[in-house]
Amino acid sequence: MKGVDHATLGMLILLLCLLGPVLFFIRRAKTGALLPVRRISGIDAIDEAVGRCAEMGRPLSYTTALTGVGPVLYACLGILYHISRRVARYKSRLFLPQSAPDVMAISEEVMRDAYRAEGALSAFEPQNIRFLSDEQFAFAAGYIGLVQREKVAAAFLFGRFTAESLILAEAGQQVGAMQIAGSVSPEQVPFFICTCDYTLIGEELYAASAYLTREPVQLGSLYGQDRSKLVLFLLVVVGVTIATFNAVFPESAIMNVDEALLKAFW
Amino acid sequence: MNYRRALIAVVTFLGGIYFFLEFVLPAEVAGVRLDYYHEQITLGFITVGSMAVGLGLINLLILHGSRIVFMRRGALNSVALLLGLALMMVVTIAEWRRSAVDGARIKQFFMLRDFAAKIHADFELSRTSPAEAAARAPNLPPPQVRVAKLTQSLSEALTELDLHLQQGQSDGAFTEAYKRKLAAAEADIKRGRKKCQDILSELTGSDLETGWSESLLKLGEPLTLVGMRYGDWLNIQYEHSLTKRSYRLLYEGLFVPLGAAMFSLLAFYMATAAYRAFRVRSAESALMMTAAVVVMLGQIPFGVWIWNELPEFRLWLLTVPNSAAFRGIALGSGVAGLVIAFRMWLSIESDSFMGDR
Repeated sequence: MKGVDHATLGMLILLLCLLGPVLFFIRRAKTGALLPVRRISGIDAIDEAVGRCAEMGRPLSYTTALTGVGPVLYACLGILYHISRRVARYKSRLFLPQSAPDVMAISEEVMRDAYRAEGALSAFEPQNIRFLSDEQFAFAAGYIGLVQREKVAAAFLFGRFTAESLILAEAGQQVGAMQIAGSVSPEQVPFFICTCDYTLIGEELYAASAYLTREPVQLGSLYGQDRSKLVLFLLVVVGVTIATFNAVFPESAIMNVDEALLKAFW
Repeated sequence: MNYRRALIAVVTFLGGIYFFLEFVLPAEVAGVRLDYYHEQITLGFITVGSMAVGLGLINLLILHGSRIVFMRRGALNSVALLLGLALMMVVTIAEWRRSAVDGARIKQFFMLRDFAAKIHADFELSRTSPAEAAARAPNLPPPQVRVAKLTQSLSEALTELDLHLQQGQSDGAFTEAYKRKLAAAEADIKRGRKKCQDILSELTGSDLETGWSESLLKLGEPLTLVGMRYGDWLNIQYEHSLTKRSYRLLYEGLFVPLGAAMFSLLAFYMATAAYRAFRVRSAESALMMTAAVVVMLGQIPFGVWIWNELPEFRLWLLTVPNSAAFRGIALGSGVAGLVIAFRMWLSIESDSFMGDR
């Protein structure tokens, strides 16, 4: 327990500022408002990669590596759903190397749903979802083996990665797979940029699902979060201005905004 | 109505609101210690989560078992994998069981010591302040009964200790140095044991009228000695046991080096990735290569020899433009993660995940 430090009025207002636009734009999207999204070449390439595999008659692999259950996985599952539908449509094979049993169970359900949505449930092969290991490098070793043995033509690496990122990406590179990666770990992004054909950086991973499916809830959410970032941007500017003012004029320093709000409303 | 969907939404909402309140509420609300309950609930979550491990195991067994049964390509590899899995499981369970059994053996002596001290304290309190003693523990059995229980338990523990010491002596897989350590521990245990036995005789021989309370206090020192040295003795035995040696061979001798070998591949992969990335084909790759060269040169003495301000420039690159980019990515990811978490919490979902089927 952290005490009441986080339960301040300022925090409540900030949360409303961040989440209010999201709810507003979800509602707008549901009423049919047109919400265009800028082109992201890495996401456009996903369909191209799936099509390439179908043409070559070689399988694909999709991994979330060591990503646990949480928002990042949730974003990855949206992409998995889209890829699985394409795979089911083109009658390709999709391998899902897994490191966490709970994530494996969720991924299997998503993949099954995608096959069902394409009317190809009988083509769904649960044995393509493979639990390798929950140990980082044992998982990496298993992934290399899978990619090399199956000669995948496309590899998707989405999620939260650590030191294993380059090992995984190099494995795909060695078999000539078209690779698309997306990570919310900034430290791993350079490795993916060096090794993969396309890399989604940070929030692009979260946007991918909305971009691919164009569903109102996801599009509205994407629009809303962009407006939330504007709010944050404004707050950064205000904060920098106040900090600069306080440094230059220490005798008339502006008090903490949070404290000011508390004093005013609490 | 889709009850499954409603149930998932309700459980998700309750789980979310619990963790939200846990974050914002103080540790104690209206005299209720919430942190105690939070610990229990967290343990419950861990227990439920650990059940998922079975899913991984089943997946491995189905996948590799079918490959072996139908003699598909790579069946031999599957045999090796399943054998390794079974061996590791057996050894780990044996290792865990041994630790638990040894821990319980040592613990009983410390528990008996604490029990003796508690009987003494309760007795003294009942003499000096009977009302307070009665209020604190109204249903406490009389001291005679408690002492009898203590002497019986201690007697059993000492008998078990004797038996175990005799069994332990038959194992001969020790070096001379360890044999000496074992002998020293055993001598201390026997010394403590003798003192315990003497006090035990005093307690069983006395009519519980005079001096028995002080005898209870005297038990503290020898029981601590026996507990600690018995722990050392068991530890030496354990370190040389077949279980521990097998575990060490499999884990420290195979698993850890294999992991290190995988990690070391990174060095070579970095070189090949750098080679691919640093071929100057565009303005971006030229910029990336220049930054990388500056950072690398700034790290080594040669860089200082070229230009003594290079380490400073390297530091500026890392702390200013690099940090700015990192923070931008982190901020964007953070907001997007928050929004997704919010959607998950309130089950504001699209048909992809929660649609009626």
